[in-house]
Amino acid sequence: MKLPQPERPSGALGVVIALVVVSLVITTVWYREGDRGPIHKLRTGVQTAAAPLQAAGELVTRPVRGVFAWASDLGVSRSQLAALRRQNMELRTSVAGLQEARQENERLRALFGFVKTSNLQAVGARVIGRPTTSYERVITVDRGSADGIKIEMPVLAGDGLLGQTISVTQHSARVRLITDARSGVSAMIQASRAEGVVKGMVGGGVAFAFVSREATAKAGDVIITSGFGGIYPKGLLVGEIISASQTPSSLFQDIRVAPAADLAGLEEVVVLTSAAPVTAIGSGE
Amino acid sequence: MSRILPTVGALLVAAVLQAALAPYLAIGQVVPNFLLLVVVTIALVEGPGPGAAVGFSAGLVFDLLGSGPVGPMLLVLTLTGYLAGLMHENMFAEGWLLPLTVLAIATLSAEVAYGLILVLLNVGGPFWSTFLTKMLPGAVYNTVLALLIFPWLARFLRRETSITTFQRLG
Repeated sequence: MKLPQPERPSGALGVVIALVVVSLVITTVWYREGDRGPIHKLRTGVQTAAAPLQAAGELVTRPVRGVFAWASDLGVSRSQLAALRRQNMELRTSVAGLQEARQENERLRALFGFVKTSNLQAVGARVIGRPTTSYERVITVDRGSADGIKIEMPVLAGDGLLGQTISVTQHSARVRLITDARSGVSAMIQASRAEGVVKGMVGGGVAFAFVSREATAKAGDVIITSGFGGIYPKGLLVGEIISASQTPSSLFQDIRVAPAADLAGLEEVVVLTSAAPVTAIGSGE
Repeated sequence: MSRILPTVGALLVAAVLQAALAPYLAIGQVVPNFLLLVVVTIALVEGPGPGAAVGFSAGLVFDLLGSGPVGPMLLVLTLTGYLAGLMHENMFAEGWLLPLTVLAIATLSAEVAYGLILVLLNVGGPFWSTFLTKMLPGAVYNTVLALLIFPWLARFLRRETSITTFQRLG
């Protein structure tokens, strides 16, 4: 048996030093180049290539989850009942498909009903990709520049604000959720009009930061976008305060928010293609 | 050439799995890092030079797939591949403890280093919060997956030698 020759560490050391230098150069270039720089373009290319893979993953895992759900309900198999079982499976699949279509129809009606009453122009999109790393809350949707999507467009789910687009390819776009630690949404408490910034937290929650200690904030208060910042129109529902407290050493209140949009089982979203200001949806203005 | 093709193949499969499957294997917000697992395995099997080169490639793919800055995982996986590869000569047949230890240390180190760089670049959160909610759970999850992947991938990468689970690789 022929064993491979051991590698000389000194040769490998030269390789790794060279690669580390290149890594640092790439990092520096990434920060210094603009959005049209070569590394940004490379990322766009990779995301374009990855979008079909992500869509395939979404497509493949969805029925698998469904199959596991109903397969657990099946009884003990018998060979003489094979034909009947096949028919049963086909019927279950058919019913599940119809049920899925009905639920999707209801969700889309709710989404577009909200947009219609808000005088907003929007594009519906399907979620085709979920976060690929632990450090980001970014999803991919199946609409891109070909559908009029640009970066920094607000994205809504059925019940409220979801996030904003951060990168766009021709047929897909990435959406940073409001639960991402890098997100920030200018918002205010609907009742007291106290302003602050809704920020994602590393642990997964959402905080309403920079709210003055003098402002009135209590659990159950509704948070809406304030319209400042130029990305989110005023009055979009963000969520509801679940706790508000003050510590003597802090300049601001410690407020936690439950997002209105259900971020867990997200399947369809709406991208607002017109950032026309709305007149305080449900804000009483 | 016969050893390069399996390595490139493993890297490509890991990239596809990271984009298509990893998001659906997430536990809470902890997403497994298949690219890290492949880098560590290849480094243990092939040595520090190939480990660093594969780490560089995998890190670039990881950074480009995500939405954060390009560079942090590139640097981390390059160094992880190199350092894990230094243990290449010490993979003995006597038991599973050493490979397990190397895998655990490598995944924890990579997670901590990556999280630390993000904190320093001001794109992560506070360190301890990030450590407890991202780095540590991520390291544990990746180590568990590494135990499943390492023996099979090591055997695939070195088909010319009769490797059994956690047997001597060098």
